[in-house]
Amino acid sequence: MQKHSDEALVAYLDGELESAERRHVEAWLDADPAARDRLSALAQSADLVRSAYADIVNEPVPERLLAAARGESAVPRPSASAEIVALPPRRVAGPRPSRRQWIGLAAAAALFGLMIGSAGTYVGIGLLPRDNGAEQTQLAAAAAQRIWLDNAAASYRLAVNAGDGMLVDVPASNDPREALQRISQNVPQMRLPDLKPWGLTLRGARLVTVDGRPAAQLVYVADDKALGPVTLVVSAAKQPDLSPTIERRQDVNLLYWRNQGRAYALVGQADIGYLWGIANDIAWQLRAL
Amino acid sequence: MLLRPKQAEAPSRAAEYGEPVSGSFGDQLVAVLPRLRRFARGLTGSATEADDLVQAACERALARAHQFQEGTRFDSWMFRIVQTIWIDQLRAREVRKEDGDVAEERLGSDASVRGIEARLALSEVRNAVDRLPQDQRMTLMLVTVEGLSYKEAAEVAGVPVGTIMSRLARARIALQQHLDAGAGIRRRSQDAKAQ
Repeated sequence: MQKHSDEALVAYLDGELESAERRHVEAWLDADPAARDRLSALAQSADLVRSAYADIVNEPVPERLLAAARGESAVPRPSASAEIVALPPRRVAGPRPSRRQWIGLAAAAALFGLMIGSAGTYVGIGLLPRDNGAEQTQLAAAAAQRIWLDNAAASYRLAVNAGDGMLVDVPASNDPREALQRISQNVPQMRLPDLKPWGLTLRGARLVTVDGRPAAQLVYVADDKALGPVTLVVSAAKQPDLSPTIERRQDVNLLYWRNQGRAYALVGQADIGYLWGIANDIAWQLRAL
Repeated sequence: MLLRPKQAEAPSRAAEYGEPVSGSFGDQLVAVLPRLRRFARGLTGSATEADDLVQAACERALARAHQFQEGTRFDSWMFRIVQTIWIDQLRAREVRKEDGDVAEERLGSDASVRGIEARLALSEVRNAVDRLPQDQRMTLMLVTVEGLSYKEAAEVAGVPVGTIMSRLARARIALQQHLDAGAGIRRRSQDAKAQ
């Protein structure tokens, strides 16, 4: 009957017994110290198994799986020499906005919404293929950018799903110099934007791979839970500089730009105007526009 | 001066790669990826092999998305796909007589685990899980690690609840014995060093 007893003990631990069976096992445990020892050994081994596999869910999910989940396993890799289009140089954003200024920025962003049509036309003209080779190159670059953003949005969702349980590779509570040193293994000479004026606190950083290149995903949590967390993905980029671009993946907003060999994506579910203000601030702090 | 956004110039996904995945289905799949990786790691004992398995499962799930019944548990559906593919792979290996192969990174490594001692302890547990028969290992991962009820695990595995109960008990007892044996070896080794 040892086998039957063990089954009952395991099911008891798992909360799978009906009340009558449970009472029977409890009576047995009350009467038999050896059964109690066995129960605690089984409970301990179950805890050990859970611990042994606990961290796997907090590992960064490889890009190829994120792509596979979107049904893009066969997406061709872009060529290294891919170019999109040369854009006019930009100036660094003005003084850092205060927390109250973001409403104004949001309004300005709304105005940009009206400008998107003309900007899109400009970019569209710039993208007109000169020949088949150039067309292929541009398509590959556009595909690479789309995948980059898809992955940034997917990484954001994983961070949101993990909630408070999300582990970060580099916690913000550590010595900032140490944190920066670790992040710099992935993104050299990285700086950490301070977004406290926006009600955002740095939770930490995940060291991830985006488009085959090392990257850092900075995770900020919002004082106002309704805004949700915001992440900033920074990675090396070979493509030319790119003006900030608004993208959306279902309920996730992204602001994407490239500057001097780095690609940035600010990701969140908050209003795009709010993200817009934050992006300006980040740009000011990192001189990244 | 404020930044000037522009609309994305990327061609539509539908145009390039056929019909896009529906947002909700794709989102559910992305959300469950970490747990699928963990489940697959438990089945295969190898990080690379586990990710290959999850990738294959994603592809199969997308191809059979129409078979998923709304209102049922998405994670259970995906676990079932993972385990089906894994069993198919094991059968194919048997045919190819590759069963004796040992994956290089059988136990993988976790950067988040700090300290050699902690890593050794976790490796020992994973090693003990790897030594369990496939059906017990799968049941242990579904119930003890992934937290499915016996009924849900029975549906995933396609066996009666009683079978889940007995597999789980055998797995937990065998695991206990492996871990006790490991602890005994360590104690003897420490005693020998002390002398």
